Amino acid sequence: MTAKLKQFFVKTGISVKNFFLGIGNGFKTLPQRLKARWNAFVSFLKNADGNVVASCLLMGLGQLFYGQWAKGLIFLAVQAVFVLFFVFIGAKGLVGLFTLGTVESNAWYGVEGDNSVIMLLLGILSVIALILYAVVYVANVKDAYKTQCAYDSLKTPPTFRKELSSLLDRNFYKVALALPILGVCVFCVLPIVFMILIAFTNYGGTTVPPKLVDWVGLENFGKILTLSDFAPTFFKIFGWNILWAVLSTFINYFAGLGLALLLNRKCVKGKVFWRLFPILAYAVPGFITLLGFKFMFSYGGPINYYITQAGGSAIGFLDIDAKWSSRLIGLAVNAWLCIPSSMLLATGILSNVNGDLYEAARVDGAGPWKQFTKITLPYVLFATMPVLISQFIANFNNFGIFYFLRGGLYIDGYFLASDTDLLINWLYNMSIDNNYYSIGAAISIVIFVVTSVISLAVYVMSPSYKQEDTYQ
Amino acid sequence: MKKLVKHPRRLFGVAITYLILLLVAFVFLFPILWLVLASFSKSGSLYSFRGFFPTEYSFDTFVKLFTDTEMYNYPRWFANTLFIAVMSSLIGTFLTILTAYCMSRFRFKSRKALMKTTLLLGMFPSFMTMTAVYLLCTQFGLVNQHWGLILIYSAGAPMGYLTQKGFFDTVSVSVDEAARIDGANNFQIFVKITLPLAKPMIVYTLLSSFVWPWSDFILPKLLLKKKELWTVAVGLMSLDDTEFSRYAAGSVFIAIPIVIFYFALSRFLISGLSAGAVKQ
Repeated sequence: MTAKLKQFFVKTGISVKNFFLGIGNGFKTLPQRLKARWNAFVSFLKNADGNVVASCLLMGLGQLFYGQWAKGLIFLAVQAVFVLFFVFIGAKGLVGLFTLGTVESNAWYGVEGDNSVIMLLLGILSVIALILYAVVYVANVKDAYKTQCAYDSLKTPPTFRKELSSLLDRNFYKVALALPILGVCVFCVLPIVFMILIAFTNYGGTTVPPKLVDWVGLENFGKILTLSDFAPTFFKIFGWNILWAVLSTFINYFAGLGLALLLNRKCVKGKVFWRLFPILAYAVPGFITLLGFKFMFSYGGPINYYITQAGGSAIGFLDIDAKWSSRLIGLAVNAWLCIPSSMLLATGILSNVNGDLYEAARVDGAGPWKQFTKITLPYVLFATMPVLISQFIANFNNFGIFYFLRGGLYIDGYFLASDTDLLINWLYNMSIDNNYYSIGAAISIVIFVVTSVISLAVYVMSPSYKQEDTYQ
Repeated sequence: MKKLVKHPRRLFGVAITYLILLLVAFVFLFPILWLVLASFSKSGSLYSFRGFFPTEYSFDTFVKLFTDTEMYNYPRWFANTLFIAVMSSLIGTFLTILTAYCMSRFRFKSRKALMKTTLLLGMFPSFMTMTAVYLLCTQFGLVNQHWGLILIYSAGAPMGYLTQKGFFDTVSVSVDEAARIDGANNFQIFVKITLPLAKPMIVYTLLSSFVWPWSDFILPKLLLKKKELWTVAVGLMSLDDTEFSRYAAGSVFIAIPIVIFYFALSRFLISGLSAGAVKQ
């Protein structure tokens, strides 16, 4: 190992250590912080006057007593809306979250039963509403207390108009971030929560509404690991998935780096021209090229045309028994798709390498290979580590390649999958095409745990996160 | 030249370099060239080709693409794709710029936690929750609705705010402070100073959030079950060997705007990629 690379690993180790130390320190100072909170709370209890207590009992009441009509009425209205929501929908939703329905529908007796999935959704929404209510409630009490404190220290509290205008200034971020956060919550967080919860139910197969769904605990995870239907398929696919992610990341990364180095050579004239071709390949939407390659390797495709012209018989490159040829084609096609982006990335990073280093190395008699392993590689590896990890994850979850090349094939020895399918393809086959919703959800939790642990750790370690403020 | 002749080893190295470059250019260009040629083929079927090359060239396929719409309504698909992509690009850009601005210019309590959370959520590839999205959409009645797709695309857009935040980080805050001394509030500063300064970034965001819905196939395939609602990606996926040149023509037509966009922005591409974005 070169010194720089060694240094890199040492640095990485230190960052990992600091990450965990940070967590440890967080816990160590926790009693202190809790104590401060508690003290503030005790002084609040001691000092709070009748108006604040009124706010605690009924949102907005204290504000009304203080003569803050607009604010008080708004809080009162919010309280009314929440109460109505919980009386008519929320309470039922919260109960439904636990029972997931008790009455099965029966067309024969004309019984309209419970729809477990809708009850689950309503349950999640009610919990969110409850959290929202808690937040508003605390804000309301804090607000009343702040007014009291202002009066106690003989100041006039800010007028309603002033507080409104602060929403455009000091608190502008609250207004601006409300919409994006709402959108992300509904369309990114809600599906994730929903999916996680489904992994602990028996939803799927024949157990779909109007039949009742039930909580089953960790049964689905146990099924993946032990049941003779799922377990062999899971381990086979998991093994291939790891192999695929490692191989394709390795190939794409080093081929891209090699191409960038080649283009960086002094003797190459017209670098922009040569760079056009990979960029062209990068620019064409992925589904077009994937379909194109599928046509290219099909029975009637050009490759088989030349094989038959030469006297051979057509080969089913992507056929049901063509395990390794389709895997290799998958690797090659993925390389074709991904090398341009990793080349562009490497080009950007190589332009930052200090040229003097090479000059010094040349003076010391280092050949091109030595220069590569001792200067270029450590530097590029260091700079692209986070991207490399995220590429690994993207490859791990590369849905498109085998969905296009070999989608919809089910092979003996695999449960609803083929020998090129990755976990993400299996997940798709199981849940979208075959209704195994809960098992599919359990698989996606497995994928998520594997990928998110890696990426969060790497992000916290990366310099761009730590030194974020130094550039401003 | 003389120098090269003096050093035969170096000459050999240069020759090898150019040979590899030629090979690389060929490998990347050829499949695309093949599709372009195929789009000008007179007969539509893959079986009528002589290897990679059509037997006869003509402009018919493009005409057929837009006129023969009974089975494969390409103009309709194209309009659908355009509508979805434009709407999600507009809404998504609005949300992304707002998010990036707030994350860059404000220091509030939950900021770091929010950044970490978005990163964690971002590591959840959007299609990994596709089962849940699909089920939710069936419950909310968003299946077979273009607005459902638009909502999903644009609501997810602020998650990729990091590039834009990086841009705002580099814009100096001294102008803001001068404006604040003159009595402007943050909202006015955002509208009157930051937005005009961020014009190139807005254009970049508009275009890049246009590309995703324009070339996505997973969500439309999942949520659009009716033929007349399909996007181009889903439509092209339904074509088989005998409609090969129709597929090629349709692909060429939809790839051209994207290719132009990428070439126009190839300077941005490198920095965008270094920010951690990876093409699917």
